[in-house]
Amino acid sequence: MNKIKKTFLNWEMFLLGILILEFVVFGAKNAKFLMPRVLLASVNDFIAICFIALFVTFVMITGGIDIQAASIVGFTSIIIGVGWQDGGMNIWTAAILAIIVSAVCGALSGFFIAYCGVQAMVVTLGGSFLYAGFALLVSNLSATEAYQGISGFPDDFKVISKFKLFDVIPSQLLAFAVLVVIAYILLHKTKYGRSIFLVGINQEAAEYSGINTRLVILSTYVLSAVSAALAGIMLTSYLGTAKSDLGANLTLNIITAVVLGGTLSTGGKGSVIGTALASLVIGILRFGLPLCFKVNTQYLDIPVGVLLLVVVIGRAIVSRPETAVFFKKLQKET
Amino acid sequence: MKYIKKLTKAREASSFLFLVVLFAIVGCININFLAPSSIAACFNDSVVFTLLAVGMAFAIFIGEIDVSVGANLGFTASVVGSLLRDGHNWVFCFAVGILIGAVIGLINGWGVAVLNIPSLIFTLGTNGVLRGLIYVYTDGAWVENLPASFTAFASKPLIGDLTVFYTVALAAVIVIHILLTRTKRGKYFIAVGDNVNGAILVGIPTMWTKIGAYVLCGIFAAIASILYASRIGFITAIAGNGYEMKAIAACVIGGISLSGGLGSVIGASIGAVIMSSVSRILVFMGFSSDYDNTITGVMLITIVVLDALMQRHAAERIRRERLRARASGTAGASTEGGEQA
Repeated sequence: MNKIKKTFLNWEMFLLGILILEFVVFGAKNAKFLMPRVLLASVNDFIAICFIALFVTFVMITGGIDIQAASIVGFTSIIIGVGWQDGGMNIWTAAILAIIVSAVCGALSGFFIAYCGVQAMVVTLGGSFLYAGFALLVSNLSATEAYQGISGFPDDFKVISKFKLFDVIPSQLLAFAVLVVIAYILLHKTKYGRSIFLVGINQEAAEYSGINTRLVILSTYVLSAVSAALAGIMLTSYLGTAKSDLGANLTLNIITAVVLGGTLSTGGKGSVIGTALASLVIGILRFGLPLCFKVNTQYLDIPVGVLLLVVVIGRAIVSRPETAVFFKKLQKET
Repeated sequence: MKYIKKLTKAREASSFLFLVVLFAIVGCININFLAPSSIAACFNDSVVFTLLAVGMAFAIFIGEIDVSVGANLGFTASVVGSLLRDGHNWVFCFAVGILIGAVIGLINGWGVAVLNIPSLIFTLGTNGVLRGLIYVYTDGAWVENLPASFTAFASKPLIGDLTVFYTVALAAVIVIHILLTRTKRGKYFIAVGDNVNGAILVGIPTMWTKIGAYVLCGIFAAIASILYASRIGFITAIAGNGYEMKAIAACVIGGISLSGGLGSVIGASIGAVIMSSVSRILVFMGFSSDYDNTITGVMLITIVVLDALMQRHAAERIRRERLRARASGTAGASTEGGEQA
């Protein structure tokens, strides 16, 4: 048990190492990369991945999966846009409405998964169609053509992505830090967090020990949907336009971040810090490769996909009994 | 065993019934929809999804999933399309395409069956890599100017208004169905998905069956990509984006259980027709085809939720019957004991 704990700790150190390595390599290749202004501005491009991955970790620890979060990003964005421009709402009311709607979306999927016993994969697949479809329908309510996107938001809405603490640290990073702290406390320091782990390890045992397992599972989907809504608000504010297909291709990145962060896709194991580091690793990779190695941004799915494959294959090989025997033999010989 | 067989039969029958009712309702609203040419178009348009769904069915039969078929289709279509454009021998081009599909399937099968990696995660990874490779291979440009004789093939009718493609695909589906239900090896897939440990105990090579399922899935995606290239006539860098989701949806609508071991390829092909008809139906009913995704999502969720509730209900009923038999006397309990399996 001690050994497992040790490797677990090491995994986060390993991620930190990779992150530092990325900084060194990219920095050596192109000094521009290390300029604080450039580096800190880059968070805008991948902050959505960081936000959502944090709470998809919760879902995956319970043994589920969430592939609908990416479509909720676009849904929230368009709700804000249409609510503000065509519904005549205050921008903040529209944002709160978007968060509530996304929570309902998450609760709906979570209900089917937890209370009807349908596989998470299918429900969230259906959800990704459904919410992308809803987003398109909402965008049709608007007077503006869907492909143009709704823009011209008031300045005090834009400020949530333009604000900088001490003129350097962008608000996205601050929001991310706050979310990491919230997620960390929620998952690792509360009773609720422990019950999430227990549900992932053995749902029946959790049920018998008096945990309302269905509610716990449902709640994780609500959390991940709300985090998607926050990401949607942040992206809308940063881009200055509300579009229904915002964040449509984030799924691969989100799942990669969670798995790379050390969460077992079969449930029962994972950590917020791991996911946070892993999403930064992916984000910096997506930012650094085009800047320093002139990699076309359209190719970026390759490194992310390879990263995911390498991690899962590596972990599978390490956990095979043959490998353990091999290492033991090696230890004995030396 | 007889019970399960009956249930599978009912599953296909219900999705076929759904198709008929759906078409009938649309026909009531707009009679033009029921014209033979329009019905035939529904079937003809579904050919790419039919092949993808049949391939996907193999992966789902064994209780796994393959979300890389969309990227597989896009990549294979780009390669085959560019080879055809450069005037290579057709047979050579198709062989290359099918080989690529098989290799992708083999890689997926290796990861899932040999390394025991959760299939969704592994194939999501290969999906990302393949998506990127399409850009590397084509430089983001469209593959255009396919030979006219190749693209003309897509609209050649064979029986009535049904194209050669659909007729051959349908015949292939029926042959595969017979192979799967009547031969020993064909039944391996369902057996592995139904109960892996049981399959191991009766001596089925589960690992090779799983790899085989993925290779077949890859090959079907490759064949689908050739038909896609022929039907569309050009291949963009985002070709096949999201097709994997539609193929899974088609399988689910066709009555294949995602927990594995239940369903048939006939069901998958019916599901594919329903899936690809949605946007056509919307147009005939006077709605914008923007509702496409919404309807698909509603359909998918409704069907899986109903399926799960019905299964739970059936399980509950069997349990209750067993308990009642046990309560009414030991004689009943001993005969009902067999139901447990």
